[in-house]
Amino acid sequence: MRKWGAWIAGALAGAVNGLFGAGGGMLLVPLLTRLTDAEEKEAFACSVCIILPLSLVSLLVYYLQGGEFLSQSVPYLIGGAIGGIGAGVLLKKIKAKWLHRALGVFILWGGVRLLMT
Amino acid sequence: MTAAIAGLVCGVLSGLGIGGGTLLMVWMTAVAGLAQRQAQGINLLYFLPTALFALMFHAKNRLLRWRIILPAVLVGCLTAALAAWLATSIDTGLLRKLFGGFLLLVGARELFYRDKKAK
Repeated sequence: MRKWGAWIAGALAGAVNGLFGAGGGMLLVPLLTRLTDAEEKEAFACSVCIILPLSLVSLLVYYLQGGEFLSQSVPYLIGGAIGGIGAGVLLKKIKAKWLHRALGVFILWGGVRLLMT
Repeated sequence: MTAAIAGLVCGVLSGLGIGGGTLLMVWMTAVAGLAQRQAQGINLLYFLPTALFALMFHAKNRLLRWRIILPAVLVGCLTAALAAWLATSIDTGLLRKLFGGFLLLVGARELFYRDKKAK
């Protein structure tokens, strides 16, 4: 089972990423820690690394199917890039437990919010 | 401007791997009022520079496990392409509800996470 851990995690994350445009990484972190021998912080970092190409694929499909979103993206792209640098600096320093808790809070808030609208 | 700030905050979270993109999705649809599919596209696009910058650090800090990453990416690209195609075909209201439900499940799980090595 351990051998297939990465494959399974990747397949599921891809499906979620393609379907929702988000959330694959959040599924990845618990999957990677449970199904592979990745350490806590490695799981978070690997998750970012895996989602990157998957997002590119999903994006291409959306775009080819007629999605229009490029012009609106610019402010998010800039902010996101800066934020990414901040994350790079922070990950080494934060305790994994707090990463998980923060993840949980954000996701729950998101879920509640979406189901209410 | 607020969009850039939202992008920045979520960018930090995304780079850490804790769901910044998901948070941004919710912000874009529930606060900024963007359409579901448009928000999904923006979200994916925003993640690209965010992740690239964060990954430069993660690689330097030796947090990347390539033996795990590579197979996951190979398989993931396939499922992502299929799922993305599906997403462009189904009703957007349904998509929103599915996403919301998914978030509740994963969120509850992560929130109640306990340290594996109990002290």
